[in-house]
Amino acid sequence: MLHGAVVIAAKDLRQRFRDRSAIVLGFVAPLLMVALMNAAFSGAGEFHATIGVVDADGGVAGAGILDGLQSPDLADVITVETFPSADAARAAVDDGSVDAAIVLPDGLTAMAAGGPGVPIDVFTSVDADLAGEVTASIATAFTSQIATLRLTAAVAGEAGATDDEVAALLAAAATSPPAIQAVQQATSNEPLEPVAYFGPGMAMFFVLFSVGFTARGFFVERATGTLDRMAAAPIRPEAVLAGKALSVFVYALASLGTMSAVTALVFGASWGNPIGVAVLCVGMAASVVALSALVMGVARTERQAEGLSSMFTFALALLGGSFLFLGSAPPLLRRLAVLTPNGWALRGFTDLATGVDVWTAVAAPVAGMAAFTAVVGAVALVAGRGAVTR
Amino acid sequence: MTCEHLTRRFGDRTAVDDVSFSVAPGETYGLLGPNGAGKTTTIKLICGLLAADGGTVTVAGHPQSPTRTDAKALVGYVPQDVALYPDLSARENLRFFGRLFHLRGKALAARVDEVLDLVGLADRGDDRVEAYSGGMARRLNIAAGLLNEPTLLVLDEPTVGVDPQSRHAILESVNRFGRSGMAVIYTTHYMEEAQRLCDRIGIMDGGRLVAEGTHRELVSLVAERDRVVLSGRGDLGPLRDLVAGLDGVEGASVVDGRVEVLAVDAHSLLPAALAAAAAAGVPVSAVEVVEPDLEAVFLHLTGAALRE
Repeated sequence: MLHGAVVIAAKDLRQRFRDRSAIVLGFVAPLLMVALMNAAFSGAGEFHATIGVVDADGGVAGAGILDGLQSPDLADVITVETFPSADAARAAVDDGSVDAAIVLPDGLTAMAAGGPGVPIDVFTSVDADLAGEVTASIATAFTSQIATLRLTAAVAGEAGATDDEVAALLAAAATSPPAIQAVQQATSNEPLEPVAYFGPGMAMFFVLFSVGFTARGFFVERATGTLDRMAAAPIRPEAVLAGKALSVFVYALASLGTMSAVTALVFGASWGNPIGVAVLCVGMAASVVALSALVMGVARTERQAEGLSSMFTFALALLGGSFLFLGSAPPLLRRLAVLTPNGWALRGFTDLATGVDVWTAVAAPVAGMAAFTAVVGAVALVAGRGAVTR
Repeated sequence: MTCEHLTRRFGDRTAVDDVSFSVAPGETYGLLGPNGAGKTTTIKLICGLLAADGGTVTVAGHPQSPTRTDAKALVGYVPQDVALYPDLSARENLRFFGRLFHLRGKALAARVDEVLDLVGLADRGDDRVEAYSGGMARRLNIAAGLLNEPTLLVLDEPTVGVDPQSRHAILESVNRFGRSGMAVIYTTHYMEEAQRLCDRIGIMDGGRLVAEGTHRELVSLVAERDRVVLSGRGDLGPLRDLVAGLDGVEGASVVDGRVEVLAVDAHSLLPAALAAAAAAGVPVSAVEVVEPDLEAVFLHLTGAALRE
């Protein structure tokens, strides 16, 4: 059986790689999609804002806040530009040269020292609402800090502290910048780059199209008689199906392998441990084979095969997270992803890309894909009995 | 090749019903019958493409079935449609099917060249099949069936839709195969092809083999009858029905704008037939009385024409 299967698979692959639409769907389109996704999402996981500051206070409180915002610890997150007036700062926000602005008003130091309250204005832009929120929260944090110290000073005075001691407390409030700290947190060792998510996501989405290619090709061969001609050769009927399965397996592996290599070279994507990546690619390719066999076994015409394979492709891509980050998807979608081989594989790929231990990353996905392949393959075997000689 | 009591059903329909015949080496056997007679199903059973519900097929002593590779290795199959890959060249197609027959290396290359030469396509071997004319593709279709130097060559209506020149070339090739010692089974619904090529002919109708023999033996079945052809215009169905009911008529059928009638005595039939034409409102433009042939045999055996 092996000889016939290899000969048929080699012929199918020769035709597949001559077919421009197969090349486009298997190799060109996923790369283009990854490039687009990468451009759209690059930097989405990081925050940086340019904040305008107007120091109308001119005292130690204003200077303290300014120093705090310009500290080296915040350099990766915030860039500060100073403006002479509130109007200039507002204009800068409006024209987008800064993301938000804060006006430290005249009397801020006096307020911190127990004087009357003055408002701190914050200018924000709808184009950078996160920067606006951060700037507003800095202002809120500072006023809360002053309020706390003023309360502390009042309590200390009531408790019998001397005027000098109370004055020292208020002076400390005036010179203390708000506590601002930028902390980046991730559940694994390395952050997940968008290309490391959408690379495998798009690769698997387009690999699923090979289900349609294979199934439609099978029905075309049946209609034109080449399937009969193969079956008339001294090979067993199963060899014809095995050949078809082998060709789609190799095509899927080639497509996934090419995607991983090209996204690594062109976009600098890190797919993680190559052995783990290879194991996941093999698991996904096996699932595609089972799915192709199911469509060939269930469908009775080329049109039915086309409809079924399109439905499977888009349903699996959507549920498996090829189009959106599963981590930010609704809980129902995250639960449904475990029913899809590409969802399992994507989980494995992202774990590998973020430095999770290789066996931890691939064990559950491989088990998930194996279960999918076994169930779908069993249904395909039952539905497709006698498919060649039907 | 011998098949005995061959039977195949598709659901409630019996496509091949207790068919038995044999073909000797060097003999060309024609399976003649209208569309739907069971010819294609019979040859699919002979080639091991379908499993029989009853009966047996043996090729050179090897039992045939979809899982028997030894019998399949001896059979060359030329399907009714052009079963080739249009996006591959002729040579690539032949190499692929040759490899399935375990040919490889120089032996494969040599055999591919031989069969291309046999069908007159040696100079077009590197062209893609999609660039071939219909006749060239048909010839290549035959070449693919010859790759394994078969003991038994089975051709399923290989001249359907072929231009006269290619048809002549195909018939000449089949003649040569028979003379070379190959057993040939040739299905057709063109009686003139069966008459020209075949040493013996089996006539199929409704899944059954209704008669078998040499052309002479079959025609002798209707030797005492006359075949009358009435040419006319308009709807000839009513005329056929009226003539079929006349005394001495064994069968009547509409073929190619004519009513063909098999009768015991043409001379006594003609006045009544012309009266029937007048009654049916069909103007008869010509009347012929011709020698009995396979068409007449089929009419005699089934009551209908081959190409009705």
